[in-house]
Amino acid sequence: MNTLAAYLEFARVGFVNILAFRLRYYTGIITYLINVCVYYFIWRAVFASSGPIAGYDLPQMVTYVSVGWSLRSFYWNTIDQEMAYEVIEGKIAMDLIKPVSVLWMWFSRAMGESAFRLILLTLPTAAIVALIFPVQRPASGINFALFLIAALGSFALMAAINFMIGTCGIPLKSILALIRAKYWLIELLSGLLIPMSFFPRRLQIVLDWLPFEHIAYTPLQIYLGKLDGRAALFALGKQWIWVIVLFVLADAWWNRAVKKITIQGG
Amino acid sequence: MPEPLIQVRELSKYFRTFHRREGIWGGLQNLFVREYKTVKAVDRVNLSIDRGEMVGYIGPNGAGKSTSIKMLTGILVPTSGEAIVNGFIPYRQRRQYVRTIGVVFGQRTQLWWDIAVVESFKLLRRIYEVSQKDFDARMEMFNQILGIRDYLHTPVRKLSLGERMRCDLAAALLHNPPLLFLDEPTIGLDVVAKHHIREFLRAINLEFHTTVLLTTHDLDDIEELCRRIIIIDHGTALFDGDLQVLKERLLRTKQIKFVLKDRAQAAGLTRFAGNGVSLEPVDEMTFRLRFDRTQVSASDLIRQLLASVELRDIVIEDEPIEEIIKRIYSGEASLSDGDAGAPAIGESEFGRR
Repeated sequence: MNTLAAYLEFARVGFVNILAFRLRYYTGIITYLINVCVYYFIWRAVFASSGPIAGYDLPQMVTYVSVGWSLRSFYWNTIDQEMAYEVIEGKIAMDLIKPVSVLWMWFSRAMGESAFRLILLTLPTAAIVALIFPVQRPASGINFALFLIAALGSFALMAAINFMIGTCGIPLKSILALIRAKYWLIELLSGLLIPMSFFPRRLQIVLDWLPFEHIAYTPLQIYLGKLDGRAALFALGKQWIWVIVLFVLADAWWNRAVKKITIQGG
Repeated sequence: MPEPLIQVRELSKYFRTFHRREGIWGGLQNLFVREYKTVKAVDRVNLSIDRGEMVGYIGPNGAGKSTSIKMLTGILVPTSGEAIVNGFIPYRQRRQYVRTIGVVFGQRTQLWWDIAVVESFKLLRRIYEVSQKDFDARMEMFNQILGIRDYLHTPVRKLSLGERMRCDLAAALLHNPPLLFLDEPTIGLDVVAKHHIREFLRAINLEFHTTVLLTTHDLDDIEELCRRIIIIDHGTALFDGDLQVLKERLLRTKQIKFVLKDRAQAAGLTRFAGNGVSLEPVDEMTFRLRFDRTQVSASDLIRQLLASVELRDIVIEDEPIEEIIKRIYSGEASLSDGDAGAPAIGESEFGRR
């Protein structure tokens, strides 16, 4: 499996590369802590004048926010931005002269980066958050194991979506506005800001048919034990089917875009 | 006869560019109705290159050199025509094909910007599945000529352009490809770095029989490395053939540069001017006689010169190749049938179509 070795090497280089930006991650921890604080106080204020909302009480909501933001620090990646810059600078040509799948190359790189984020961002953030806020333990050992698998799924979904957005840079040239729009759409539709059960019933039905809620909402439901046993496995199955579907789509979209490529500069 | 390594037929690339209207009203119009125009970056180019050749691909800025290289390396899909390189169709079989080539773009790097050079090399070793033994042997050879060992552990962003270029060249050849594309490999480099790179290219061509296609604006690259050149402008090939043949055909003027022994004799030089000969002073004691070699014989001129003045030094020079190329670009020199003994365009001694 020499090809696998090549992609593992991409992951390793992705990891090493990000070491050059260590400092960014120390400040990253603070950013994530601030986010958790903000949502903690908002939800405390909301629940002060109300009973459980859409099946959530305050301790669950605090756990949702804390675990949610820790999870986000792991699955988040910037493939789309990096691709956008590569297109603008014409560096994308250098990817095409390598005998590798460009999709898997980016995926492997992002994996190396996420491994780095896990150690330097996610774990410290989670540890500090758990010290400051009353975060509940996972519903059970099995729930936690399934949650970890779902977290990998979140990463894969995010990678595929970002790769597709990044590929839009080839026909569109400048996609910085698109990236910003995607940012807010994902924060909202992934369930990171508000659980899906808070959305209007009809919207929930529509969103149930889309991949986004599997990025944050599904793993968090499993963690909290709101999805148990069979229901959890079913949700996990749905999430990973979406992973496959999005990768197939990403591959097709890339192959289409690359035929129309024009290289900027020289 | 063996198949040529690169075979290109009627290869074209047209770009559709969006024409922007000016002013506020024009800007508003742009939002709704777009005007496009087609630019023929490369227009029906034919070429055929054999194994082991080193070919210079030259032309003014925007002539279509880079676009051609990008089609041949599988990055761009041609609008029409076909290319077979190393037995592959580059833009259709990209992943298998690029395994068999090395590419260096002088203005870009394939090395990772923020990490040590050696990390990029390790990555490339995996990508191209080079064994550790081959890897070590090649690194040793690259180091001998390019002297890259000293900065293998430096991040690329801290390297000078010359150092980076040497590393990029080594990176492109790590898997010992039979074919190497170089797009302006010496751009912006100092004399020493240029020398290293040329030396290296000669060495790998000699040792591994690597075929090299290089674009450049530095004609010294061409003169030192390539026997054959292809000149392209406005997307079409103007000349394809031996550099010497081009010189023979287009070399019009020669010049004699000489240094007088005695300043007083300078006055007597004026009689040489005229009749296809021009006299240019270089400094107090040095002068240059420039003449049309088809009208004036160099030996006659020298004889006359020696008979009338005393010289300390004398040199006979050809017109620099830059001058010839400049005339071709500006359209002053014609390469078509009108020129005495000129082969038709696109039909060189290497062409076999």
